[in-house]
Amino acid sequence: MSKAIIALHQVHKYYLKGVHALQDVNLSIEEGQWTAMMGPSGSGKTTLLNLLDGLDRPSLGRIEILGIDTSRFSADNWTVFRRENIGLVFQQFYLIPYLTALENVMLAQYYHSMADKRQAQKSLEEIGLGARMHHFPSELSGGEQQRVCIARALINEPKIILADEPTGNLDEDNEKIVMDIFHKLDAERKTVLMVTHNPNLGRLADRRIYLEHGRVKHEHWV
Amino acid sequence: MFWRILFDSVVRRKKRKTLAVLAVWLGISLIVGLGVLCLDTGDKMNLELRSFGANIKVRSISSSIPVTVAGYELDSFKDANVLSENDFPKLKEIFWRNNITGIVPRLWVEGTMKGTIDGKKIPVLGLWLSRKIPVGQGEECATGASHVYKHWKLEGRWPKEDEAACLAGSELAENYKIEIGDRLEISASKNSMLFTVSGIISSGGREDSAVLASLRLVQGLAGLEGKVSEADISALTTPENQLAEKYRVEPKSLTPAEYERWYCTPYPENIAREIQETIPNSTARVIRRISETQGTVLTRIQGLVFFLGLITFVSCSLSLIGILASIVSDRRSEIALFQAIGAGRAHIGALFFTEIAFLGILGGILGGLTGSWIGRQLIQAIFSSEASPHFALILLSPLLGLMVAWLGSLWPVRRALNQDTARALHES
Ligand SMILES: Nc1ncnc2c1ncn2[C@@H]1O[C@H](COP(=O)(O)OP(=O)(O)OP(=O)(O)O)[C@@H](O)[C@H]1O
Ligand SMILES: [Mg+2]
Repeated sequence: MSKAIIALHQVHKYYLKGVHALQDVNLSIEEGQWTAMMGPSGSGKTTLLNLLDGLDRPSLGRIEILGIDTSRFSADNWTVFRRENIGLVFQQFYLIPYLTALENVMLAQYYHSMADKRQAQKSLEEIGLGARMHHFPSELSGGEQQRVCIARALINEPKIILADEPTGNLDEDNEKIVMDIFHKLDAERKTVLMVTHNPNLGRLADRRIYLEHGRVKHEHWV
Repeated sequence: MFWRILFDSVVRRKKRKTLAVLAVWLGISLIVGLGVLCLDTGDKMNLELRSFGANIKVRSISSSIPVTVAGYELDSFKDANVLSENDFPKLKEIFWRNNITGIVPRLWVEGTMKGTIDGKKIPVLGLWLSRKIPVGQGEECATGASHVYKHWKLEGRWPKEDEAACLAGSELAENYKIEIGDRLEISASKNSMLFTVSGIISSGGREDSAVLASLRLVQGLAGLEGKVSEADISALTTPENQLAEKYRVEPKSLTPAEYERWYCTPYPENIAREIQETIPNSTARVIRRISETQGTVLTRIQGLVFFLGLITFVSCSLSLIGILASIVSDRRSEIALFQAIGAGRAHIGALFFTEIAFLGILGGILGGLTGSWIGRQLIQAIFSSEASPHFALILLSPLLGLMVAWLGSLWPVRRALNQDTARALHES
């Protein structure tokens, strides 16, 4: 039995105006596990991911990642920790608008260690964007932007990948490309936590977690 | 990569950057423009007030006995023409030379106008119309009646030096029905000459009943080459204060330090005294009323303009800071994204501040250039004279642009760096 790489202990998240987005969430995700997180809109999936990548903080409770208690992290601690260990695919595809697809990917390399154009080009080619490398985000379709985000999230080979609906905007062909990528990650024993509404994608995961009203409703192990 | 990001941010988002540069440009233009105006107003006002006339009158010592001719008091007709014209350029070499802004040597002679029925004698005034005095290093100082008597009412134009043209005093013109363009034959003790009337002058003084022409021509008419009977001098002066009063009452009561200070202050009396010492056989008298008003009005206006300048500076800077702050605030989600990708706060700070510094300096340079141009135009419009170049102000303006840009972005960038990243991302 492998050890827990992510552990949530009695985590709560309150927002202003009385929104209780997460209620007493206890979770333990093991290294190398592919977890799909599912649930209706507004159930707190994005909120949970944001607590795991340090873009947001829990109101109550404790989160351990890689055996480290993150509750004492400063913003700068989080920045370093995130770029070393976590790859992020956002629900919305956030790209720097004045940098090309290639440069956006290289930016992540740069902050992690050093920019490597070859490697960045290869990652975009693998994801079917070989012809779109020098385009700006505004010149790319939603699906293409999504794939740039995926390439960026994976470029530094993070131990943990947090993906918020990575196939949400993709057609079947591209969905397949992305699914293949995640298969490969699974084969490489990366820890993947993926939010998805897509039951096909969910079925591929080792484990499915259902959220509802900010609580873990039930789990399904494959 | 740092510079690459910076370069891309500026070059590929030209419109937004242009907005920031434009804001700084406009703001700094205004500040510099008003700055130039402020700095120059003192000098220009002074020069402007100078045209309210001469404030020191130089006469010959022997002209103290007034002589009346044909009902006019002409105190310098007799043997009074003892001042030498050649002595006057020396006034631009004395200690107070920079305060002396106008010199008009004058020669009164008695003449007759041919063709007048009564053959009455009329006063003829010769004066420097428009002269250039060398002041060393190849520079020249322009002076003469057309500079000093700007407050006289002139219909027509001043004659040129050596032009066979004259001005007719307004009373004279009325009495003898003289009009611009008329030709007058004037004769004095030695010669006679034909003049064309180029203008009618009204000074409110005895010039109104005289014919005015170039000093050289009048000297020729009377055979008094190189002689003048009096001179009007305008000088920039400091109004008399307690120290001057103390000296006037009892010169010996001044301490050495006070004396030193008194000696080095351009009180009208001091300047008059030095003029008197420079021109042989002369007495120089202060026409006190003018020089005093000149000083006080000037101090007040300078204060006012300085105050206005300060207000403009503060309000321009504040609104600039506001505009830049809002431009940075618009980029909060970008800052959040940089953080999410893994950029440290120091790195993001450096990125933004460098970019903003660049935009600020660029705006500052442009603003310095257009601002000084605006300043020059304002000076030109208000005082119709050239502004002195203010290189310091132009050199300072990029720095000013930088400061304003940084001040404007410091707070928003700091806040963006400490913001709730998830939320800022979400808002984009
Ligand atoms: N910044 C915020 N301030 C207040 N309430 C928020 C904020 N962010 C999210 N919420 C609320 O928290 C709840 C959970 O939101 P979350 O974004 O996690 O949902 P989700 O499960 O990701 O939904 P979806 O599938 O639509 O993306 C929602 O009710 C939402 O309205
Ligand atoms: Mg969501």
